[in-house]
Amino acid sequence: MHKTLTRFAGPALLKGAAVAAGLTLATTSCAATSGDVSSGGSGDDTVRIAVNGWVGYEASAAVLTHLLENELDVDVEQKQIDEQPSWQGLNDGDLDMIVENWGHEDLMAQYGPDGNDSVVDGGSTGNIGTLGWYLPQYMVDEHPELATWEGVKENTDLFQTPESGDKGEFLAADPAFVTQDQGMINHFDMDLKIVHAGSEAAQISEMRKRYEREEPFLSYFYEPQWLHNHIDMAKVEFPEHTEGCADDEDDVSCDYPEYDLNKIFRTGFAEDDSPAYRMLENWNWSNADQDAVATLIADEGMSSEKAAATWAEENTDVWQEWIPADA
Amino acid sequence: MSTDTDTARGSAAPAGTAAAAASAPAGRPRRAGLPAWARRPWIAAVLVAAVLVAAALLPLPQSVTAFPSGPGARVDGVLNDVYDWAVANRDSSPVFIYGFNYLSVLLGSAVVWIETLLQALTWPGVMVLGLLASWRAAGRRAMLVVLAAFAVFGVTGLWDAAMTTLALITASVALALIVGLPLGIASGRSDRVERALRPVLDFMQVMPAFAYLMPMLLLFGIGNPAAAVATAVYALPPSVRITSMALRSVDGGAVEAAASLGSTGLQTLLKVRLPMAKRTIMLGVNQTIMLGVSMVVIASVIGAGGLGDAIYQSLSKVDVGGALEAGLAIVMLAIAMDRVTAGVGAGSDGAPTALRSPWLRAGAYVLAAAAVAGAAALRIDDWPQQLRLYTAGPVNRFNDAFADAVGGVTTAIGDGTVVWVLDPLRAVLTQSPWWLVVLAAAVLGRVFSGRRAAATGAVALTLVGLMGRWGNAMDTLSQVLVAAVAVLALGMAIGIAMSRSDTLAAFLRPVLDAMQTLPPFVYLIPAVVLFSVGRVPALVAALVFALPPVIRLVNDGIRGVPQNTVEAASVMGSTSGQLLAKVELPLARSSLLLAVNQAIMLILSMVVIGALVGGGALGYGVVFGLKQNEFGLGLTSGLAIVCLGILLDRLTQGRKTDA
Repeated sequence: MHKTLTRFAGPALLKGAAVAAGLTLATTSCAATSGDVSSGGSGDDTVRIAVNGWVGYEASAAVLTHLLENELDVDVEQKQIDEQPSWQGLNDGDLDMIVENWGHEDLMAQYGPDGNDSVVDGGSTGNIGTLGWYLPQYMVDEHPELATWEGVKENTDLFQTPESGDKGEFLAADPAFVTQDQGMINHFDMDLKIVHAGSEAAQISEMRKRYEREEPFLSYFYEPQWLHNHIDMAKVEFPEHTEGCADDEDDVSCDYPEYDLNKIFRTGFAEDDSPAYRMLENWNWSNADQDAVATLIADEGMSSEKAAATWAEENTDVWQEWIPADA
Repeated sequence: MSTDTDTARGSAAPAGTAAAAASAPAGRPRRAGLPAWARRPWIAAVLVAAVLVAAALLPLPQSVTAFPSGPGARVDGVLNDVYDWAVANRDSSPVFIYGFNYLSVLLGSAVVWIETLLQALTWPGVMVLGLLASWRAAGRRAMLVVLAAFAVFGVTGLWDAAMTTLALITASVALALIVGLPLGIASGRSDRVERALRPVLDFMQVMPAFAYLMPMLLLFGIGNPAAAVATAVYALPPSVRITSMALRSVDGGAVEAAASLGSTGLQTLLKVRLPMAKRTIMLGVNQTIMLGVSMVVIASVIGAGGLGDAIYQSLSKVDVGGALEAGLAIVMLAIAMDRVTAGVGAGSDGAPTALRSPWLRAGAYVLAAAAVAGAAALRIDDWPQQLRLYTAGPVNRFNDAFADAVGGVTTAIGDGTVVWVLDPLRAVLTQSPWWLVVLAAAVLGRVFSGRRAAATGAVALTLVGLMGRWGNAMDTLSQVLVAAVAVLALGMAIGIAMSRSDTLAAFLRPVLDAMQTLPPFVYLIPAVVLFSVGRVPALVAALVFALPPVIRLVNDGIRGVPQNTVEAASVMGSTSGQLLAKVELPLARSSLLLAVNQAIMLILSMVVIGALVGGGALGYGVVFGLKQNEFGLGLTSGLAIVCLGILLDRLTQGRKTDA
């Protein structure tokens, strides 16, 4: 038994060794760059879009996907992923586009034309992003001075919770988002403690709950965001953003800047200049447009595909001009 | 890092493996050579606590209480440099272009290939094949569970997502087994290999998965490859441990007989040891699959897609009902895979007699092939809309109504917990000098678990400080301790009640099953709505997650007390309370100790997830590190959690490591 096994195994083993050697040769003769690491798997012309974790972004991505699939007949793959890893995805060739970018100059320096040269700025989406400190309108109605930072500074005790102890509570953002809150608290010397909600879901749940009970809160938030349709909030006024005022992260003497939200493309995708790329490049719409779709998704419980289709049907005039002439 | 793993050496297996259960301590501990006050550990514990409280009440300056920050900053710097190097060299260093990148391509294509296959089969095809295969392999009951799982995927509209997840799990589990089974065989045959592997496996199990997502992203790129490797790393330990244990427990007589008949070592392994250990090895495979399923949600953070995505997208809209639907699909996937692998492990007796006739079997396969071909030919792609159920709306309405009804009470309880329990304990730990806390850990280790545990615990805690995470670690430690007390108190009460009533036990079992397999992400939002954002919802989530095993262990322990002992005590006139305190609990001691240990390990594994609802501290460091590319912060926070795990594991293991 043992003998037969060896007799039959002999040649097979030799063959195996030869194959292994051949494989090793093949392996060493060509190197795999990270660009080869494509996990998409569908056809070459599939457009792969990063989907970051807020509803406004999801709305934009859904409309673009709907138009690419139905008007240009291009396959689209959406990938749910956080902001920072998305850039790595473009760099590695796993993704083609970030739909809505908020700032991130550091990542642009690292991966953009002056760095790895693997991503390019795709221009404005038409959406204007506002970041800042928000509190419920009913608080401002009762204490008008809360509309500015001086008023907040005088009244931090209003925001006190067990979690913030003897200071006022500042509800912080999802850890993935751009923030400068601690620097602002330091500079304006406010008696506030940051409580990290840890995720946007937890933050919004908390804000909604307190709003229903007409309790106070002070929170990082942003626009465009669907929650503004439910909750009437006021933005606290700080000195306007100027060049360099936020360079020291421990000492920020101004409000957040206003963001002209932009698209980021993989350089190779932009250079291919496909009809899909040209449509995405042409895409430009207003905050109201995005809000309309986001509200369908978040409030009416529509799937993002259906929300996008609904919006597209009613707003042909808006998107018609994005479609490239030859497509 | 190497010192870190060294400290883990000599531990027993933590976290729910059969090995841990098998080696639970028994008998009275040795107490020779201890001073008189230390003979009563609880007195020692109270004394230590009193010293810490006194020290915390002294107005000591920050420079005395806080751990020096120099070393931590250096560690962060070095790690961030490593990260920057990797980003800059992904396309030039041979480590990447000849190594990791190939592995990525291979894994990525494997996942995509499986997914394409599942899609090509269409849903009727997958259903027919899946049902026949599970019937054949594991019997009719397993098949019915598989059918229920398919139905849930369909009616929730998550069929495609479930197939994506299934593809990822298949590839990850295959990877884990390809690596894990040979390692398990090696460690089953050699004590040296086993000793070398044990700390590595301990480390893999205690390290929070979130903390190694970032290195995975860096090495393998986003999406399927990184997700597959991360899942495989997380799921691998039980396959190694249980395979090793299975080989070691094969009857020596059979091995000797084979050897005396002239079998070579390899022949004995292939023909005697492995076949005899097959049942137990299948248990390891089963555990590997279960852990793989539990990584589904976390893997979607780095772009894995599938059911995890569905949960994340629901959460971003604060849609509890949507998250619950996806969670239910994951639970059904887990239960179906569990029943099928358990059925396979139980042997071929599960296979129905009808299928043993070759003709019938052939007929069944032809039928399956016809169904698949038919479905493919008719291009039945999507699950029919008429067969969709919409449950998210009602669930959300119920959730809102429930929160309105009890929200006031729960918020008050939560606020009280923060002010009266969490804050004081955190103050004691953060405002005492750091060296006093280390000393206290050493003393407690000495009285509860012996000299070696004392040394290990003190070293682990000092490492936390050296990595620059002292303050956050004390914050996390205070939360973990509070959660542990709550879990044990509740777990004991429910477990004792369960051991007293068979009806209650029968009712609780499926509830506990669901609690253990439901992804914690599903109950995070309700926890926030009931309690305010902060440490309390994190604590509640940990409670839900860690309770089931504690309840089970207490129940099993008490039910395991010999019946005649209980009867004897009753005859002597013991009341029910005396019976419990003097007979049942002392005799169930080893189960109870294991329950304490398991509770703490499971609570620690929820530290990062708790940070998503305001737990802060080390968990937040891990999440922030991942999301903002702060490699140093993320990794050291994760390692600090491992250190806390080692400390608490040693303190609660009793004296077995010393004996």
